[in-house]
Amino acid sequence: MATDAPAATGISTDERAFWERIKEPAVYVRLISLFVVIGGWELMGQTGNIDPVTFSYPSAICVAFWDLIASGQMVSAAYESSQILVAGLLIAIPLGIVLGILMGRFQIFEYAVDTYVFALYATPVVALAFPIAMVLGVDFVGKTTIVVFFAIMPIIVNVYHGVRNVDLSLLEVTRSFCSTEGQRWRDLIFPSVVPYLVAGLGLACGRALVGMVVAEFLMSISGLGALSQDYIADLELDKGLAPVVLLMVVGIALTKVVNICETKFSSWRVRQES
Amino acid sequence: MSSSDNGTNPTLRLQGVGKWFGSLHVLDDIDIDVKTQEILTILGPSGCGKTTLLRIVNGLILCERGEISFKGEVVDGPRPEMAMVFQNFGLFPWKRLDQNIGYALRIQGREKGEIDRLVSHYTELVGLGGFEANYPSQLSGGMQQRAGLARALAAQPDVLLMDEPFGALDALTRETLQEELLRINEAEPKAMIFITHSIDEALLLGDRVLVMTPRPGRIRFQFETGFGRGRDLEEIRGSQRFQALRHYLWEAMRNPDEEPEPIPELVLE
Repeated sequence: MATDAPAATGISTDERAFWERIKEPAVYVRLISLFVVIGGWELMGQTGNIDPVTFSYPSAICVAFWDLIASGQMVSAAYESSQILVAGLLIAIPLGIVLGILMGRFQIFEYAVDTYVFALYATPVVALAFPIAMVLGVDFVGKTTIVVFFAIMPIIVNVYHGVRNVDLSLLEVTRSFCSTEGQRWRDLIFPSVVPYLVAGLGLACGRALVGMVVAEFLMSISGLGALSQDYIADLELDKGLAPVVLLMVVGIALTKVVNICETKFSSWRVRQES
Repeated sequence: MSSSDNGTNPTLRLQGVGKWFGSLHVLDDIDIDVKTQEILTILGPSGCGKTTLLRIVNGLILCERGEISFKGEVVDGPRPEMAMVFQNFGLFPWKRLDQNIGYALRIQGREKGEIDRLVSHYTELVGLGGFEANYPSQLSGGMQQRAGLARALAAQPDVLLMDEPFGALDALTRETLQEELLRINEAEPKAMIFITHSIDEALLLGDRVLVMTPRPGRIRFQFETGFGRGRDLEEIRGSQRFQALRHYLWEAMRNPDEEPEPIPELVLE
């Protein structure tokens, strides 16, 4: 809070803020947890309790990670994978939003499609890989389709629930003040859907990553999935697990991005808490 | 707003209004005339169809029988000349106070300059100056309803529809807002239908009080309060007339099945 420069101590405000942050449970509990789990795992590896043919340990994976980056394999694999990931999400997000909104707002549309949507929601998409490959091929189009199937479901379902849960008394307010349908979407429906959509996007990003690897395993082998599988097949577990670590990091990063978006879009909600 | 009829012609006329929800008979044969600038309070127990009646007047739902007319035109849907103040405030939680208050104006497509001017005028009028940038959840219930009132007033309606607007507030806030409402109505008079289940509120605010019976909702009786404009609520509360009317309404509400004795005019004077 205080902005006076603590010249005497020589500690800058930034540094002080950093140490203040460390003291928060969210930060220090996570750090301790990471230290215990990663440290314990590393210790097992260092003491020879992990067979490098069946599993690996952090420092070995780090070295392998660096080797793969240095050889250029990781970068080209990640580039290849990211194409179907990005393409899949770019299709799944707008399509999911549109379908969810149509289902939530127009009863006839809901009746027409809800059976398929909820059936697909419960279907393991992996089972669809073969028919998709038959129809759309095993390359970019087929793989992107798998990612779309993985990612779109939580978006549709969440947006649908968001639209259905619009506050009925506020709906009446918009009617009472003679709002047009377009104005109603802007003032009421879109803002009510945002929190649901953001939650859906978080789930969708995670599922899209899984879908990407599934597609790369099951269809024409490529990208990070291929890189991982090749090294695991050669019993080089450290190199085989390095791409998995990258996927984990990307997953965490995407979740973080979604959280930041959430904070931005619902400033009225955050202020309420403070 | 500028009326040449001295507040005698009906702005709003309900004729033989009847309403059913399926087989449930909610309202039966309601005839009401609301004069320009008249404050009509409708008093009745819960479930007597007061709110349904107000929603019909607003055009939010249609009645199966009878007709509502506003200045001679049949009401078949919401219209900008009427504005509702809702029991649960009905503010958009993601809009700042000024955006909530300017909501109806933006819906009407007014120019930005005009919206800003009206919003700041009505924000001041309801005593919310300085809170423009706050979100509803940061404000007390009383302040939220002030905003609900400002939003309705900013739309510059001819008729203000108040659906138990102070019902969700604590007693002290409620009394403050009753006084404020009368003060604002002095400054910018308009016709008002005010739904309440509080006898005191009906008497203090109304030029005319209309009492309803439940299942189906019917008009039981109505009378002019006769307290006049520029009324001082404290003075009214202490008056013999208020006490007599209050007692009379208590008796009437307590015995919904008995025909009430005619209002004893002598005591009232």
